[in-house]
Amino acid sequence: MTSTTPTPVSAVGRPQPSATRAGRGTRRRLRKDLLRSRIAAWSAVVVIGAFGLLPVYWLLATALSTPESTFQFPPKLVPTDLTLSNFTALAENDQLINYMVNSLVVASITAVLSVIVATYMGYSFSKFRYRGRRSLMHLVLASQMFPQALLLVTLYTVFSSFGMLNTYSALVLSFTTFTMPLCVWMLKGIFDTIPDALLEAASIDGASRWRTLHSIVAPLAAPGMIAAGLFAFVRGWNDFIFALTLAGKEKQTLPPGLVSTYIGEFQTAWPQLMAASLVVSVPVIVAFMFLQRYLVGGMTAGSVKS
Amino acid sequence: MTTSGISRRGALRMFGIGALGAVGAGVLGACAPSGAGSPSNGGDPKSKDFDFTSWSLNEEAAKPSIEKIIAAWEKAEKSTIRAVSYPYNEYLSQLTLKLGGGETTGAVHLDIAWLAAMAQMGKLVDLGSVAGKGGYTDVALKSGTYDGKHYGLPWNTGSIGVIANSQLLEKAGIKEHPTTVEEFESALRELKGLGGGVVPYAAATKVAQLKDIFPWMQTFGCAMLDGGKVTIGDDASVDAVTWYKKLHDEKLIAADVDRFDARALFGQGKAAFYDDAIIGKGVTSAQSKDKTLADAMQPMERPVLKAGDTPQALLWGGVIAIVKGKGQDAATEFALHTTTDRATTSEYFAARALPPSTTAGLAAPEVAKDTFTTEWTRKITSTATGSPFWQFAQNAQIEEAVAKQVQAVLVGKSKPKDAMKQAGEEAAALIKR
Repeated sequence: MTSTTPTPVSAVGRPQPSATRAGRGTRRRLRKDLLRSRIAAWSAVVVIGAFGLLPVYWLLATALSTPESTFQFPPKLVPTDLTLSNFTALAENDQLINYMVNSLVVASITAVLSVIVATYMGYSFSKFRYRGRRSLMHLVLASQMFPQALLLVTLYTVFSSFGMLNTYSALVLSFTTFTMPLCVWMLKGIFDTIPDALLEAASIDGASRWRTLHSIVAPLAAPGMIAAGLFAFVRGWNDFIFALTLAGKEKQTLPPGLVSTYIGEFQTAWPQLMAASLVVSVPVIVAFMFLQRYLVGGMTAGSVKS
Repeated sequence: MTTSGISRRGALRMFGIGALGAVGAGVLGACAPSGAGSPSNGGDPKSKDFDFTSWSLNEEAAKPSIEKIIAAWEKAEKSTIRAVSYPYNEYLSQLTLKLGGGETTGAVHLDIAWLAAMAQMGKLVDLGSVAGKGGYTDVALKSGTYDGKHYGLPWNTGSIGVIANSQLLEKAGIKEHPTTVEEFESALRELKGLGGGVVPYAAATKVAQLKDIFPWMQTFGCAMLDGGKVTIGDDASVDAVTWYKKLHDEKLIAADVDRFDARALFGQGKAAFYDDAIIGKGVTSAQSKDKTLADAMQPMERPVLKAGDTPQALLWGGVIAIVKGKGQDAATEFALHTTTDRATTSEYFAARALPPSTTAGLAAPEVAKDTFTTEWTRKITSTATGSPFWQFAQNAQIEEAVAKQVQAVLVGKSKPKDAMKQAGEEAAALIKR
């Protein structure tokens, strides 16, 4: 039965008390759900962030600590005895500058060489059809299948036979051996995304194949080339075992240099090692800050086919 | 099909190419440099100039004193010594590669644990005619011997033994060092009673350092290797591991401890005993905030199973070996001078606290007045022996195989008897390889 009592004007358009309560409840629930999902999302961000940043924090904290507090047990999350002596000591070590220069030279040449060779190889694999193309592509990839230690012995023997030990060339060539396969496949993927119609148009306009690659394709593939170069640079910068084995004292790069200097038979000078690691990371961090958008773009450029 | 997709045919092709590559790598490997396969690494053996390879040439603490020795030799002999160095942890693999490849010549600093593996390469000079002139102690001379030949002139001879913190022992009412395993256990319980997070014995419990259990196995009567047969798995080894597990379960030793952790605990007065080389005193006290710790550190004979047994310890130290080839004669003279010249060894001792290997060197006033060193030499080094597994190139793998089984016991994943049987079988298989 419906009520015939007229609804007061003031009550028109106003929700019934029970409906109001229900609406409030829903909104509260929604707000709670939203809050919960936000908390979950932020918790995930904090956990992932901590996973990535805690080692960096620990590196910084150790670099600013005294040797005694480094070995404190249980360790303290926030160091109390702060010191800059580990950084000032670096300035007195001329050898570190030498290691850094060697690393910069070797990693830069490796990056440039890898990109140049990989560009031609990747372009060839992507845009030309010839007998043995697929086998060659797989052969390039196959070199990644060997354990590095196995190749180390072989490369050492070969470089020794050619009198190339303790030279930049030995380091650059060995690093390039490992960086090239990924660079070739990365750039091939990028060249695959460039439509053949563009190449045909260039050909109709009278551009030679050489000109087409250098003037049309290469600028389009530049982000990928930078990404490949960065990958090769980092590989060359971080390598330890090849640099230790193939380079002598004068051509030693940073990773074996730092290990030799700070990790000894009886103890490790952790604070100095961390300070040195922090300082020598600066050039790579700066390079990444400027070029990271190319790295991300270049890595994913060949992943979607039109 | 996309051009970058890998079909089954493509995978087979890659496998074929990989196999071809492996053959190619083998062929390239055969392009060995001049020294490979030859007993000599080439060059004029009479040359006055030679190389000296040592891991210590990189290390901040050791570098200045070794460079001083080199500079003095160069000045006196009007020759040039080229210093070569690799980090300690990579030293053996680098040296194996470079000695085999013919790159390493001259004098080579070796850990005594590596001597056998290096000697087996056939490139080291037999120094028998020189070793007798040095006045080395018997233990030291033995440390440079492999297969009856003197391949290394001992530079520093010490051992790995137990170091005690006299302050903590005093606090726990322990007046004398325990001499038997039973007394040791009682002392550990007394120390545990001190509370305050004290780990009575910071024994190694991480795989990387669990080879420290070997002297305990020997203490319980396990020879480890007898006439070429691995004896790990016998009752004595099982008893040793069972005892170690008991200490672990009673929290008389702590989980997840290696040498670095043990030094940290000991340095903070949280451990009463730990195993280290003789150099441990300098390293641990340098890390400690307690500047009186060095005085409280005492070398202790490893407790024996029953009174009258010989205390066990692992021999530890370095020798200088000579590679056949360039500068061999001058390098031999240099090695003899470095390891036996009294002034040189005393100065080196003063800088690094590494005990000399000669009788005269140990008797030098600078060394003799160091109570810790003389006590250590008398109590620990005098009965120390090398590991029977050092003679095998697979030594590191054998140590790891045993260590993994011991750890399996400690964490309760395996019974001592089964674990030691497994460890023995793995060690025997590695030796046969």
